[in-house]
Amino acid sequence: MKLPLASTVPVSYAQLRWICACLALALAAHVAALPIWLLVTVCAIAAIRLGLAARGHSAPARAIRLCVAAVSIVLLFAQYRTFNGLAAGTALLSLMAGLKLLETQTRRDVYAVALIIYFLSLAALLRSESFWLLCYLIGVLWLTTAASLRLANSTPLPGWQRSMRYAGRILAQALPLAAIFWLFFPRFDAPLWHMPDDSRSAESGLSDSMSPGDITQLALSDEVAFRVHFVAATPPPQERYWRGPVLHDFDGHTWRRTDSRTPHAAALLPVGGEYQYKLSLEPHQHHWIFALDWPARWNLPGGILTSDYMLVQAAPVSQPLDIVATSYSHVQAVEPLSAAMRRRDTLLPPDRNPRTLQLSQQLRSAHPDDMDYVRAVLDLFRQQPFFYTLTPPALAEDSVDEFLFETRRGFCGHYASAFAMLMRAAGIPTRVVTGYQGGTFNRFANYWILQQSDAHAWDEIWIEGRGWLRIDPTSAVAPERVEHGLNDAIAVDEPLGSRWHHRTPWLADTRLRLDALRQLWRERILLFDQDSQNKLLGLLDIPEPDGQKLVIVLAIGLTLALTWLTWQVRRELRPPTKDPLIRAYDRLCRKLAAAGVPRNAYEGAEAYGARVAQLRPDLAAAVTALCRRYTRLRYGAGRQSVNPQRFIAAVRAFISGVRAFRPRRAPLQRRGEPY
Amino acid sequence: MSTVRQAAITRLRAWAARRHGADTLPMTIDRRRIYILPTRFGVMLASLLVAMLIAGLNYNSNLGLAFGFLMVSLALVSMHHCHRNLLGLGVDVNVEVDAFAGGDAAFDFMLRNESSVDRCDIEIRCTPEAEAIKSVCANSYEQVTVNVPVARRGVTRWSQFELRTRYPFGWYRAWTYVQGSLTAFVAPQPLGDRPLPSADAAAGSATRSEARGDEEFAGLRSYAPGVPLKHMAWKVLARGGDAAVRSYTGLAAQPEWLEWAALESLPPEARLSQLCRWVLDSEAGYWRPYGLRIPGVDILPGRGAVHRARCLRALAAYSAEPPR
Repeated sequence: MKLPLASTVPVSYAQLRWICACLALALAAHVAALPIWLLVTVCAIAAIRLGLAARGHSAPARAIRLCVAAVSIVLLFAQYRTFNGLAAGTALLSLMAGLKLLETQTRRDVYAVALIIYFLSLAALLRSESFWLLCYLIGVLWLTTAASLRLANSTPLPGWQRSMRYAGRILAQALPLAAIFWLFFPRFDAPLWHMPDDSRSAESGLSDSMSPGDITQLALSDEVAFRVHFVAATPPPQERYWRGPVLHDFDGHTWRRTDSRTPHAAALLPVGGEYQYKLSLEPHQHHWIFALDWPARWNLPGGILTSDYMLVQAAPVSQPLDIVATSYSHVQAVEPLSAAMRRRDTLLPPDRNPRTLQLSQQLRSAHPDDMDYVRAVLDLFRQQPFFYTLTPPALAEDSVDEFLFETRRGFCGHYASAFAMLMRAAGIPTRVVTGYQGGTFNRFANYWILQQSDAHAWDEIWIEGRGWLRIDPTSAVAPERVEHGLNDAIAVDEPLGSRWHHRTPWLADTRLRLDALRQLWRERILLFDQDSQNKLLGLLDIPEPDGQKLVIVLAIGLTLALTWLTWQVRRELRPPTKDPLIRAYDRLCRKLAAAGVPRNAYEGAEAYGARVAQLRPDLAAAVTALCRRYTRLRYGAGRQSVNPQRFIAAVRAFISGVRAFRPRRAPLQRRGEPY
Repeated sequence: MSTVRQAAITRLRAWAARRHGADTLPMTIDRRRIYILPTRFGVMLASLLVAMLIAGLNYNSNLGLAFGFLMVSLALVSMHHCHRNLLGLGVDVNVEVDAFAGGDAAFDFMLRNESSVDRCDIEIRCTPEAEAIKSVCANSYEQVTVNVPVARRGVTRWSQFELRTRYPFGWYRAWTYVQGSLTAFVAPQPLGDRPLPSADAAAGSATRSEARGDEEFAGLRSYAPGVPLKHMAWKVLARGGDAAVRSYTGLAAQPEWLEWAALESLPPEARLSQLCRWVLDSEAGYWRPYGLRIPGVDILPGRGAVHRARCLRALAAYSAEPPR
């Protein structure tokens, strides 16, 4: 009889059900990224196919399958306009898995679905940083592997638990190998080729415009923007301003940044403290990097400083990024302000916010000196009933007028915007800087966490002879915001949203500890690269580590691991006996075999001992004694004896006797020669 | 493609035969004779793995790479498990079987698993058309019958058979060639409608008065194995005597000679078929010894399964050319 091929063996309902479950679990990792209609389609297809199989029907007719395939692929193309790239590729793959399921009839089709599940799992990880997602997908891999075990012919199939256990054992044996691959497989600095960056997650954090009048409730997110570890000294809170997008263009309501990436940044003379720090930036899909005011040096290839001292790179930050940078807390301009920049930073829409313009004229006539004028404006904020709040009223088109003269309630953006307008109205070049300020210190791992809720806005004014000067008008109203952070700045009756946990110390501690673990995961795993590999080789005492040596280490490691694997897999055929007595006797037999007298399979201990004694008179005494002792211990009444201690001691004595027994090989006897 | 593959397999089999020499059954499969290659599905998986690694490297995703490497390692580990599925398996088979042309030669294999892991889906393959599959639990054994179809009369030999497995995931196929020569004695298909020679003789001597066939009782003989039950002298046995058999005179006692020479009008294969028919009929009929005379072979009259097999093997082994 000829055995059926995998392409002809029909798949059973149970097998189909399990592969559907695996596919569903793999798709679950993509739920957020896939279009709803696609998920619904794939689920519906799986349900229909399972329903058919449960009633004993085979797959639907070819015409129906082709129709479904054609329609959904056209829809998919209409949505993505391409099949290239991660998002479209994942969607296509998911769809293919569904369509394959629809036509699944034989075991080979199920194998194909399993392959798609494997690739879908990988695709979910390509843009992920999550430890839990990795664990989850390894779980899916386990389940899929167990499911493919159950495609075997064995009748009857073993229970599910046994398949899971066997798949689990194979997976566990794969783990050390995978670790060696992962550690020593050479990494590239640059991608092999650039894929269309279509799958970028939503931009997060700051944007390149600011219109505080539109926001009536500031959403306070605990999402981490970046983490900072100061190498030596930590700057005081009033100097921890992390520079983001600098905004120049004001239309009376909204501040914007017209993207003129002039690379030339005027030279600065450092006058304040120097701080070195490591910035661990989370991906935010923008070009800028939040450096501490004022960035001086950084180890970012392709990172440049714009004319308004923003640190930017060519590509958006779409993956976790670590930078070591140095900043100076205070600087002095060397060159005068260019005419173009002066014009840009004093420009105001002439017909907007008339009351503010009027106020500015009044104040300016009283304070002709720039610094006096600044002080007067800040005093205005301080003395008039201005309030810091996260739930300000909405503002109309002339937002500054309305804020300064009517509502007088707002957060950093309102104050920065109003202050900048007042400065520009007086002819002082001013720009709004957005970024982060403050942060939470993680005392468990010595770094600062900057969350989205630490986002801040402040101003920079140009003072002749001094250069750009940072003024934070919010600190005039709510100095706690700058000194201690947001939680102390907001009044107790403010809606706290998700921030209640900041007031529960043990919970806050737990969060910090978790965050420290996350940071460790990021540092050790997510950002593992060539440098880390070279460091690893250094730990192994390999001089001048490079890619070639890495490959050699990889080869050695794999050889060792595969040897171990071979031994481990074969050992399972005959697991070593647990009885120390039998183990010791086996050892004795091995030693004698090495000495040239192997035990025959039919020989008991006594007979073997006698034969050895006959063949090797030099060993006779020792071997006979050992064999006799073994027989007595193994078959005598010792095990059931009333004194187990004595029995154990006797076994120990036998074991050490075997250990001490060192037979020499029989001397070669040359035949035909006289002695 | 397929011819290239076929040629490669033929060469590999010949090489394996030279390398290992003849095997004595029962045998245990050692690691030096197990070969392993990825299946077509395994090659698909390999290209998928390469794609996975390229994707992981290209997106510079350490988690993606970790998953990809885990899959690669899984493939490597499953290779070891596939290999192990055959390693140390004991095989035995009855190397000589009897069959009729157009039927099956049924080889009974014994798979002995003396290890503490289950061995699933062991395929035994005698010819591409004759395969069987079986799982053997830990510390256990299973008997598997492989029916090899045999179309033509003659003594058919297969110098090798193959054990293969694709367990656990179907990514690899491990196989081994066992150089155990399997022999099928394929007797001719029993055909022809000529009556037995004795029936002819009976018809010819119908006038003889004493020709009452086996009814003519001639006394008791001592028992010998192979005697039909109805000829046993039960009464003698019941009286406490030794087992005895009633013997008869006449045609029943005369041996039946099934002779090649009696079928001169037929072509050789038809003759053999008729002789085979006669052997079967004689064995099934009344107690009467039969002998076989074909060129080169002379089997003295007898009865019983062993005698029948001897006759059938003689018919299977007949060849027109005189033995050299």
